[in-house]
Amino acid sequence: MGRLLLLGPLEAQAMEVLWAVGQGSVRDVVEQLDRKLAYTTVMTTLDRLFKKGLLDRQKSERAFLYTPRLSHGEWERQRAGDLVSGLLAGSQPSRELLLSSLVDAVGHHDVDLLEQLEEKIRRKRKELSKGIQG
Amino acid sequence: MSLSYTWRLLCLCCAAFFVLHLALAVATRLSAGTAMRMAARMKPSSAARFLFFLRISPMALTIFAVLAFCIPSYLWLEPEAAGEQVGFICFLMAALGSAIWALSITRVVSAVRGTVQYLHECERHGRKITVPGEPSPALLLADKTPVLAVAGVVHPRLVISKRVFHGLTLEQREAALLHERAHRTSRDNIKRFLILLSPDVLPFLRTFRALEHSWAKFTEWAADDQAVEGNSHRALSLASALVAVAKMGSKPKLSYLFSSLVHDDHELTERVDRLLRPQPNPGKPAEVLVPFLTSAGALLTGAIALVLLWPGSLSLVHQALERLVH
Repeated sequence: MGRLLLLGPLEAQAMEVLWAVGQGSVRDVVEQLDRKLAYTTVMTTLDRLFKKGLLDRQKSERAFLYTPRLSHGEWERQRAGDLVSGLLAGSQPSRELLLSSLVDAVGHHDVDLLEQLEEKIRRKRKELSKGIQG
Repeated sequence: MSLSYTWRLLCLCCAAFFVLHLALAVATRLSAGTAMRMAARMKPSSAARFLFFLRISPMALTIFAVLAFCIPSYLWLEPEAAGEQVGFICFLMAALGSAIWALSITRVVSAVRGTVQYLHECERHGRKITVPGEPSPALLLADKTPVLAVAGVVHPRLVISKRVFHGLTLEQREAALLHERAHRTSRDNIKRFLILLSPDVLPFLRTFRALEHSWAKFTEWAADDQAVEGNSHRALSLASALVAVAKMGSKPKLSYLFSSLVHDDHELTERVDRLLRPQPNPGKPAEVLVPFLTSAGALLTGAIALVLLWPGSLSLVHQALERLVH
C-alpha cells in the first residue's frame, strides 16, 4: 500500500468515481469523469489500479466490473499513515524535522533492557511509598 | 578575473566570511572537548545554553565581523573605480564561503519544508484537542508510530499519536506533556534551526557532531528537570512514560542531531537513571559561565570600541582585504 501516495491525477479521479458509485465498469467511469477521456485511457488506468491492489474486478458479460478494495476513509487513513511514516523514515533531509520529541533517541530497544528499566522504576516507586508510609 | 565594485564587495564578503569562519570554527572544534567536559559539571540547562552558544559562535562572530568591519571599510575606503582584478585564491575562498552557506541554507530549507509538510499532514489527518497549558490545540494522530513531540519553529505545535495518548497513565501523560512544554518554553526548536543554519568548518564535513549531540543530550536533561521540578513522584512518572513509549515499538529517528554515535539504549538508560536518583548539586554554573561570558562580552565590546574610536582600524581591515583580493 506504499504506492498509494504515488497515484496520478487520473488514477485519483477514477478512484473517486468508484468510491462514489461503489462498483462500475470502464464505461461507467468514463461517463462520470469531469473531462472527456478515451475509453482505452480509462481502461488502462483501471487496469493499473487493479495491479496496484487498489481495485478488485470481476467479469460481467464482456466487461470487467471494478470495486475499490478500501473505503474512502480507510484509504485516507492509510495514506496519512504512509505519508507521515514516509516523512519520518525517509532519507536524511526529510528526517531533518524541526521538532523536540519525548523519546528522541529511540530506535530499536533491547526488550530485556526495557524490562530492567521498568523493574528499577517499580523498585523506586516502592521505596518512595515506603518512605511516605514510614 | 576582473570584477565590478559591487561584485568585488560580494566576493570579498564571501571570502572574508570563509577565512574568518574557518579560523573560528577550527578553534571552536579544538576547544569542543574541554567545553563538553566543562558542560558536564554544569546544570543541564546551563550546559545546553553554553554548548549552544559555542556551536553558533563561529557563525555569529563571523557575520558580525563581516558586517561591522569588512563592509564599512570597503565602502568607505575602496575607490569606486572601474573593474579590478580579483586573485584566484580570493575567488576560491569566496566560492568555498558561498558553498558552506549554500549547504547550510539547503539544510535549513529542507528541514523547514519537512516540518511544514509534517504539520500540514498532521493537521489534515489529525484531530485537534485542547491540552491544558498549551497555547494552541494539540494534534492527535491516528498514526501507529508512537509520537509525542513539539513540532515547528515559530509557533510550535504539540503532536501526539493516539497510541501514546491512550497508552500512558494520567500521571505519565502529565509528566510527558510537561517535558514537551519545557522544550517549547526553552525555544529548543529555534535553537535546532540556528544549529542547522550554522555552517561546518568546510563544506560536506560534520565536525561538530559530538558537540551537537552533547547539546541535544543536555537539552533533553534540562527539559526533564524542568518537567520534574524536583518532585520524585513526577520524576518516576516521566521515567515510566519514557520506558512505556519506548516499549510501544521502534520509532524513526525524528531529529538530525541524534545519530548512531551513541547507542540508543545508553541514551534512554542514562535518562531514566537520572530521573530515578536524587539529583546531586549541579554546582554553581555561574562560576564557570561568568568568566566565559564576561571575556566574550569584553572582547566584543573592545572590538566595537576599536572601530568606533580608532578610525585606523578600518584602514587596517581594508589593507587586509586588499591582500585577500590580490
